[in-house]
Amino acid sequence: MNLAVGDGHFVSLVGPSGSGKSSLLRAVIGLQQPLSGTVETNLARSQLGILFQDDALLPWKTARDNVALGLSFNGMERSKALAEAEAWLERLDLAGFGDRFPRHLSGGQRKRVALAQVLALKPKLILMDEPFASLDAIVGARVVRDVVALVERGGISVLLVTHDLEEALSLSDEVYLLSQGPRASITQHYTVPIPRPRDPVHSRTHPAFAPLYQRLWADLSREVDHRAEAA
Amino acid sequence: MLLDPRHAWMRQLAAFGVLLAVWEAAGRADMLNPLYVPNPSRIGAALVDLFSDGRIWPHLDATFTAALGGLALGIAVGILLGVVAALVRFIAELIEPVMTVLNAIPRVILAPLFVIWLGIGLASKVALSFILVAVLIFSTVFSGIRQVDRRLVERVITLGGDRWSLVRHVYLPSVAAWVLGNLKIAVGFAFTGACVGEFVAATRGLGYLLSFAQSTYNAALMFALIVLILAVVLVIFGVAGRLEKYLLRWN
Repeated sequence: MNLAVGDGHFVSLVGPSGSGKSSLLRAVIGLQQPLSGTVETNLARSQLGILFQDDALLPWKTARDNVALGLSFNGMERSKALAEAEAWLERLDLAGFGDRFPRHLSGGQRKRVALAQVLALKPKLILMDEPFASLDAIVGARVVRDVVALVERGGISVLLVTHDLEEALSLSDEVYLLSQGPRASITQHYTVPIPRPRDPVHSRTHPAFAPLYQRLWADLSREVDHRAEAA
Repeated sequence: MLLDPRHAWMRQLAAFGVLLAVWEAAGRADMLNPLYVPNPSRIGAALVDLFSDGRIWPHLDATFTAALGGLALGIAVGILLGVVAALVRFIAELIEPVMTVLNAIPRVILAPLFVIWLGIGLASKVALSFILVAVLIFSTVFSGIRQVDRRLVERVITLGGDRWSLVRHVYLPSVAAWVLGNLKIAVGFAFTGACVGEFVAATRGLGYLLSFAQSTYNAALMFALIVLILAVVLVIFGVAGRLEKYLLRWN
């Protein structure tokens, strides 16, 4: 399997459940050993960040401490790490929430803290494992918009795993379709011609969106039917 | 307004006052045998007596020392064994059955054994308090570490944390939360251990005074001591509760 994520590109990976999308991300970041074969990336481990479906913030640390955590792991002095963390919180619309514990933040705010935690480490590529699935529509759309804006501002690429085809198409420059697992492989590759900067909500009404969506839907359905036949 | 839930404590206090008044009145009307149920006023007087001549202090001191000593030792050893057992499978295989058995039996039955092993002094009471607390804390920590949120572990790893970071930022706070969550129960256990130990064989302590009151059929002293032990444990509960609330304020 070969997958390219260009600089500043937003790439999505969709596929039937059980095709190993999440496992792929976990293998890339080193949380999981591939059953066979190896994972090769042209990025160092420290240039990768990952955003999970759950926020997984440390409940006993404030928002600011949570963001500062990764910085101090990477050798930054505590006071400097805290100042840097605060700056990231402000950038993500969380000014004044630094002293709150995760429990006292809303779902959308927690997601932003988790995002700040990852962004503070200045990764080149962020892996996202369905991070927006747990948010309700409006809150989710706002967090997504911020993520897109950050990517468009430059420097960061995203590899998003999702089962939401609309989300994949509206956010991405490229979409890869994985076949039914086990031993899934990439079966299709789509380029999304919607221009940037994009608004993730409005890009769904772009003329290129519907035909692509139909193609993707048909291809994915075929993959799922494959499974039915095999079974 | 009279039934405002926020004023429940007033109604509880009033009911308690009424109960005491009825009790006192019944006693004065010779409806209660003072040998078994002394009047509240007599109990109060016995309580005041204990403090006015100062003879209570060595007993309080003995019980506190035994309970707090057992508590501290029990928490320390409970955490240590719990952590080691959770991390080293071989140790868990050895310790866990022992702890399961100790958890299942009423551990105060060990009191006589501790007396013949350690004598009637402080040591046997500390030991009983200790065994009550340590088993509780061990189970808490042992099962707690095995249930540490995997997502937090993965989060710290992907942020670049090493093994020590995991211990410091995930495991230690988790352990602290479980221990604190059980602190009140542990305090209760510690005082149970101290008092039962003193009851079995001692020359000092609130438990010893209780057994003395029993052997001399002094019901007023017995009630006074029960009230005193209650008060002591409630105060410590209050302190433990405050500590828990402060340290677990993130929860």
